[in-house]
Amino acid sequence: MTTLLWTIFHVLVFPGLLFCVVVGLLLAGLDRKLVARMQNRVGPPLLQPWYDFLKCCGKETIIPRHARRGLFLAAPVLGFAALITAALFIPVFSYSVYSTSADLVVILYLLTVVGVSMIVGAAASGSPFAGVGLSREMVAMISYELPFVLVMLAVGRMAGVGTPLGVTFSLQAIVDWQAANGNLLFHWSMIPAALAMLFVIPCEIGMHPFDIAEAETEICEGTLAEYSGPPAGLFRLTHCVKMYVMCALFCVLFLGGISTGYAALDALVMVVLSVVLTFVTMSVPHAVCARFKVEQVFKFYWTVVAGLALISLILVWLGL
Amino acid sequence: MTFDFSNFINNFPILAIMSLFLGAFVSSLVGRRSAKVRNTVVFLSMLISLVLILALIKPVLLEGKIINYWLGNWEPVNGWAFGNSLEVDALSLFFALIVVVAVFVSGVYSFFYMSHDDSLVNYYTLFLMLSGSVLGLVLSGDLFNMFVMIEIMTFTAVALTAFRNHYEGALEGAFKYLVVGSLGSTSVLIGIALIYSQMHTLNLAQIAAMLPGYDSPVILIAFAFLFVGFGSKAFLFPFHPLAADAHAVAPASISLMISGVLTKCGVYGIIRLCYCLYQNMDQTFVQYFVTGIGVISMFVCVTMAFNQHNFKRLLAFHSISQVGYVITVIGLGSALGMSAGLFHAMNHTIFKGLLFLTAGAVQHATGSLDLDELGGLSKKMPGTCALFLIGAASISGLPPFNGFASKWMIYQATFQKAGETGNFFFVVVCVAALITSVLTLASFIKVAQSVFFGQLNLKFANTKEVSLGMRIPMWILAALCILPGLFPDKVQQWLLTPATQAAMNAPGYIDAAMGSGYAASFAIPAYQPQQIFLSGAWQPVMWLLLLISVTLAVCIVALLGGDEKATVTSEISADTDCDPKYDSFFSGEASVYSQVGGSDLFWGFKHNWRRYFSFMHDWHSGVVNDYTLYGTAAIAVALVLCVIFL
Repeated sequence: MTTLLWTIFHVLVFPGLLFCVVVGLLLAGLDRKLVARMQNRVGPPLLQPWYDFLKCCGKETIIPRHARRGLFLAAPVLGFAALITAALFIPVFSYSVYSTSADLVVILYLLTVVGVSMIVGAAASGSPFAGVGLSREMVAMISYELPFVLVMLAVGRMAGVGTPLGVTFSLQAIVDWQAANGNLLFHWSMIPAALAMLFVIPCEIGMHPFDIAEAETEICEGTLAEYSGPPAGLFRLTHCVKMYVMCALFCVLFLGGISTGYAALDALVMVVLSVVLTFVTMSVPHAVCARFKVEQVFKFYWTVVAGLALISLILVWLGL
Repeated sequence: MTFDFSNFINNFPILAIMSLFLGAFVSSLVGRRSAKVRNTVVFLSMLISLVLILALIKPVLLEGKIINYWLGNWEPVNGWAFGNSLEVDALSLFFALIVVVAVFVSGVYSFFYMSHDDSLVNYYTLFLMLSGSVLGLVLSGDLFNMFVMIEIMTFTAVALTAFRNHYEGALEGAFKYLVVGSLGSTSVLIGIALIYSQMHTLNLAQIAAMLPGYDSPVILIAFAFLFVGFGSKAFLFPFHPLAADAHAVAPASISLMISGVLTKCGVYGIIRLCYCLYQNMDQTFVQYFVTGIGVISMFVCVTMAFNQHNFKRLLAFHSISQVGYVITVIGLGSALGMSAGLFHAMNHTIFKGLLFLTAGAVQHATGSLDLDELGGLSKKMPGTCALFLIGAASISGLPPFNGFASKWMIYQATFQKAGETGNFFFVVVCVAALITSVLTLASFIKVAQSVFFGQLNLKFANTKEVSLGMRIPMWILAALCILPGLFPDKVQQWLLTPATQAAMNAPGYIDAAMGSGYAASFAIPAYQPQQIFLSGAWQPVMWLLLLISVTLAVCIVALLGGDEKATVTSEISADTDCDPKYDSFFSGEASVYSQVGGSDLFWGFKHNWRRYFSFMHDWHSGVVNDYTLYGTAAIAVALVLCVIFL
């Protein structure tokens, strides 16, 4: 009974639904505020994403004539659920709930499921704008996948060197290794990989310079063109929560292992680090850069970012 | 007198093969009179072979018995096997299971799918001969028998490819398959002849005992010929263009057979060749060679699939890409790699079969396979669309489907190999496998968007969903996509571990046929069972429970917190039929047909790779002379490499 209650607590409150949603919306609000300040604007209130989400929930859901009703409505829920599930597998520093039953590949694929659910939802809406949007979303996905994979393998090798197999995919093993040997971020050979991961974060989330899939000025929100009401709100929420999940993933991969000993304090540290990461990886590029073209995103990620990750992978492989 | 069941079971393999071949002849005898009788004969013969093979699961897979059946009771004398034999170990049975299930599904689907074609007697005769030959190949204990079965298999497959010879390109595709397929068969024959000239025997077990200690360049040359020959049957690089031409025109049920079953024969041949006959999988060169071919096939074919605008041609390239995965991990030489490869081979038959059948359903309903022309069929064919999405998610390796379970093992296997050997080559292999997976996903998104979603072409406004008889076989395959994905540990325990151990246990295979102690007399070391370690963790059922609970939580929160005014409206519940509120958004312009064709999706990706794609376009010239040249070149390269490095 206690186990069941704990499971419910984990899924619904911490580190699951409630925590992710609150932190995600907070990060999104902060991001908007910071970008506005950098552009000399006042910006919306910190709680604006909350208001947006609640307003969406009160609106009518219109299902277009050409849409596949079931998929159109199921896609946002499925994507959101997959994302929260991914969040459950990511340890919050010492506080790990299900991290022993999943590994990096699972996280990678759960994040893919999130992207795919968005694509399927867009496809099911039957809109031509969504059609263009989903094709761009897929190109973005291919773009960041290569550096992401290279980073993953570099971390997996670094943390697995002492083990009998020589490599590991397990998040828990990566965290334990860092607890024993210091954070991966401060091993010089891993710095290029960390940089690459910082670039992967905004593209994975679809933040401004890399938001080719939504590109409201070009293709009218692309994948979201036909969405209205609660499903649209849920997609926006997914977007916000993804900001937190990606930051948390970065923390686990490169800053894991540090722990204050108190779960609440760990969570707070995680939030603070997420805010810093949001500022560095999302707000600054958003304020500074104009949107990339589709082919530029692909080229950038497969040459510069993948190159950085590859340097780390080779260095790690040479035992440095 | 008591009935000795355990002895009687020895007859099951031959009966399963005979049932299919007999069915072929009987159906052609009686089939001209009545379609019903013909279909009954076909169904019964498929069912009998299915049941007989399923009955072998318990003794062979679970109890580890190796069945030997000597035709005409010609047992080996003084350590020499003269007679023809069937030898069924767990590996053979694993492939036999794949074969009989695929044959059964394909056959049942054919009853409905082929109902509009004429001269169906020929179709079923050829179909059953194809099935029987494939089953014979994987159960055979004799090298020459394998060649005979390969020949029957190739020629029936060629004939069936051209069965709908009114299709554009049907004869062309069949002709290419015939010419280059014969090249592959010839290569196998030369390899067998060379081995026979040295070993003076054709029994697999006896050759396996004699080969490893035998030092002669002739057997190295034989290895190259056999490898390329079996590789050509699996359509590995550079034989892959053939598969595309054949699949594009073959009936969907035959595409299922070619991709799901024939390619598996090539895979089976390569496993037997490297692990059992030559037992040279521990040599670094062989690992590089096999894995390298696998990676090239995997990557080249997935990029080729990107550019296709024929539904089945696209699936054909993916088929080889997935077989590339299998060959890649088999080439690692580790127990985990073998498990992952066998698992993926099984899953490939299931999900690729499902996808080919959905393609067949689309073709049956609309008469078209052109991705630039189709679109919006999800409203007309919702059942087929759902099935397609299951297949697409499986092949793209999304959790919790079976493709994820096996691909996850593949990544583990390649990365572990890299970790153990410290060899960077295997890291590249692992990266290639991961990237191929996302490219696979991309091209199935393309198919989904340009066939089932997007806007409906007015040409297909009267499309109807296919009959239930066609959907039931597809649902069987869809269920098979989901179950192994949820319970991979059970699949591992019941199917993969026995098959893996059998594949790597060459001395056991030899002793079962030639009498115990035979392998030891040729100084082949006894087999130590290998443990399978996983360096990650994955519990699908738990993941699914989490996903369901999160989904429920989201739904409950949505229901509790939902505003009274929040309503879901669609055209059905609206008062009027032409409320503009339900139109697609066009920025205020008039609504026009503006479907982005399949070829034009992912422009950003293709633009960056344009030089590669234009090179590939020229390279796949479609001329049979060129393809024969590539095949010959492959033999030449394999010969040179084997003689130098092996």
